[in-house]
Amino acid sequence: MSYEEWYRQDRLPHIYCAGCGNGTIINCTLAALEQMAWKKEDTVFVSGIGCSSRAPGYIVTDSLHTTHGRAIAFATGVKLANPDLHVVVITGDGDLAAIGGNHFIHACRRNIDLTVVCMNNQIYGMTGGQGSPTTPLGCLSTTTPYGCVETPFDLCDLAIAAGANYVSRWTSYHVKELEKAVLAGLQTPGFSFIEALVQCPTAFGRRNKFKQVADQVEYLRSHSMLKAKRDRLLEQGEHIPGDMFVVGELERRNRPALGVKR
Amino acid sequence: MTRTEFWQGNTACAEGALAAGCRFFGGYPITPSTEIAEHMAVKLPKKNGVFIQMEDEIASIASVIGASWTGARAMTATSGPGFSLMMENIGFAAMTETPCVIVNIQRGGPSTGQPTLGAQGDMMQCRFGSHGDYAVIALCPASVQEMYELTARAFNLADKYRVPVFLMADEVVGHMREKIIIPDSVEQVPRKALVKGTLPFKPDSDLVPGFPQFGKGYGVHVTGLTHDERGYPCATNPKLHETLVMRLVDKIESARHEIADYDIINPGAEQVFIAYGAPVRTVQQVMHDHPGDNIGFLRLRTVWPFPEYAPGEFKNARRFLVPEMNLGQIAREIERHVRVPVISLPKLGGELHTPSELLAALEAYR
Amino acid sequence: MKLAIDETRCKGCNLCTKVCPYKIFKEGKKANRKGIIIPELDRPERCTNCRLMHLYGRTLCGVCQLTCPDQAIHWVEELPYEPKKVAIEY
Repeated sequence: MSYEEWYRQDRLPHIYCAGCGNGTIINCTLAALEQMAWKKEDTVFVSGIGCSSRAPGYIVTDSLHTTHGRAIAFATGVKLANPDLHVVVITGDGDLAAIGGNHFIHACRRNIDLTVVCMNNQIYGMTGGQGSPTTPLGCLSTTTPYGCVETPFDLCDLAIAAGANYVSRWTSYHVKELEKAVLAGLQTPGFSFIEALVQCPTAFGRRNKFKQVADQVEYLRSHSMLKAKRDRLLEQGEHIPGDMFVVGELERRNRPALGVKR
Repeated sequence: MTRTEFWQGNTACAEGALAAGCRFFGGYPITPSTEIAEHMAVKLPKKNGVFIQMEDEIASIASVIGASWTGARAMTATSGPGFSLMMENIGFAAMTETPCVIVNIQRGGPSTGQPTLGAQGDMMQCRFGSHGDYAVIALCPASVQEMYELTARAFNLADKYRVPVFLMADEVVGHMREKIIIPDSVEQVPRKALVKGTLPFKPDSDLVPGFPQFGKGYGVHVTGLTHDERGYPCATNPKLHETLVMRLVDKIESARHEIADYDIINPGAEQVFIAYGAPVRTVQQVMHDHPGDNIGFLRLRTVWPFPEYAPGEFKNARRFLVPEMNLGQIAREIERHVRVPVISLPKLGGELHTPSELLAALEAYR
Repeated sequence: MKLAIDETRCKGCNLCTKVCPYKIFKEGKKANRKGIIIPELDRPERCTNCRLMHLYGRTLCGVCQLTCPDQAIHWVEELPYEPKKVAIEY
């Protein structure tokens, strides 16, 4: 048994650029799903618009590829109307945090039983590299040609503050950890949010001094800091460099959830 | 046993939906449609249905479309500003052929306008509001009884043609209290299921493909992108896009006769009123006060697709008078289909036409 | 079992060359029909999963497969008459 059979083989290869991390995240998501032993007909993938959101088109289950930013709202309807379905939302940073930000925080507040996998490439890839709400300070994009001057969103902090039951962050380098995180998200009743930082060689890396795909993956690896280490450093009152981001399981709790299988 | 009630139009709409088997309501409060949501919030949980108040109208229509794909009969209710917000997802529903019912209790616009007063300013928006070419069905009730009956019919039309169906009521009808006769049961036409093994977006002879419900093992990919008969995106094929959009329009336009619902009164008259929604009531008063057969009346319950052959049934008509609570949105549509003058009688501000105003118009153009 | 790269799917990003603990994948030199330089396999029989997948009944390492963004890496059954070469490195 392998997760390969969750792919629509007739649709591969997919449209992603060479080196794009989205394919890795789909692999990890499907590998986690495979371990849940869910039936394909009981699983529904929902997505919005963007690079990441093309993913459900390559997955063999029922899938809904919707309008920009509204994936979670559509998924809410699917899940509430039939709580027996397992609903997974695949989304991107622009889709989730910019145009769909309100739907995101309200789904966290409702704590509806969805698993949201956000492929955060810190840029709008599909439209050619415009700055997104998660573009780090100083990074170049076609709409921030002199460096991004806006402070980015921390999507995980947002989800925790809004009330999600399970929140974790990994990168496209940490494939095994990401797989386990998605698995934990699928198992958790209530809203689960998994942020996966991915490389975007075409739109982000090219403008931000990552000449090779591997350079950006290496950056993701070397600038990620485990939550345990972060907590220890904070305890000891030591300095945490500003360009580091926290990875790991950031929240797991048991708030009352909506739409859990009857 | 039928029973008689004294209900508000909005209540009748919600009850009509429940009778038609509506089991999902996603909404957002907006005057003057809120009573529908309130009534659904009370009744749906008792009928094993789902009521959810979403964070905005965009999410409301999105949740309705999502619920519809699980096989539930789903609806939302809103008014002008919320209707404008819904437009993108209405286009999505048209493109993906999702059955859903959208109730618009119209109020004065543009913008926030007159929240507590009626208008009919969204008639063109419901037809052409979303980008691109598509076709929809719009029904216009003029009484509390019709709020009930047309809501129930809207669900059947939506399921039959797999299209968003609008109930374009207005504040006047929505907030009016009237006697209503509730039938024992309402006809429910089930959704045609997709035959296993056939392509999910391959149309049958009626141009409507079978419905591949989520959770039944169809493994269907539903996308708002231009898609082929397998449902896979194929956005750069000009021929495919043309075929798809032509079919989406044709399936509704070619069923014009089946969808059409209108009354013809005094077909031999020379002066003919055409009305839908609240202004129907003023015309009825005029007809009541002036019995005889010299005033014709074409009373529309279906506005989109427009029954373009209906005005032609008034063989002696010398002119058509169209009282509307907007600046002549449907009058312009009628002009396209008739050879005699069409006189628009607009009225803005939230008040109905008075019978004397219509009589004055009859005199002025005689 | 044997490692294989699906040339019709590989887009030549060379991420597999970075993640394999045995460094089985190495950058290729020759372009294929599409003009994509597919990575080459360096003594693929060293792969842990190839030898032990059947024994354990699950994928053991599989990092290359998970990482490959283009779903191009998989394991194929070896035909019984294929000569097997096992080189164990200490």
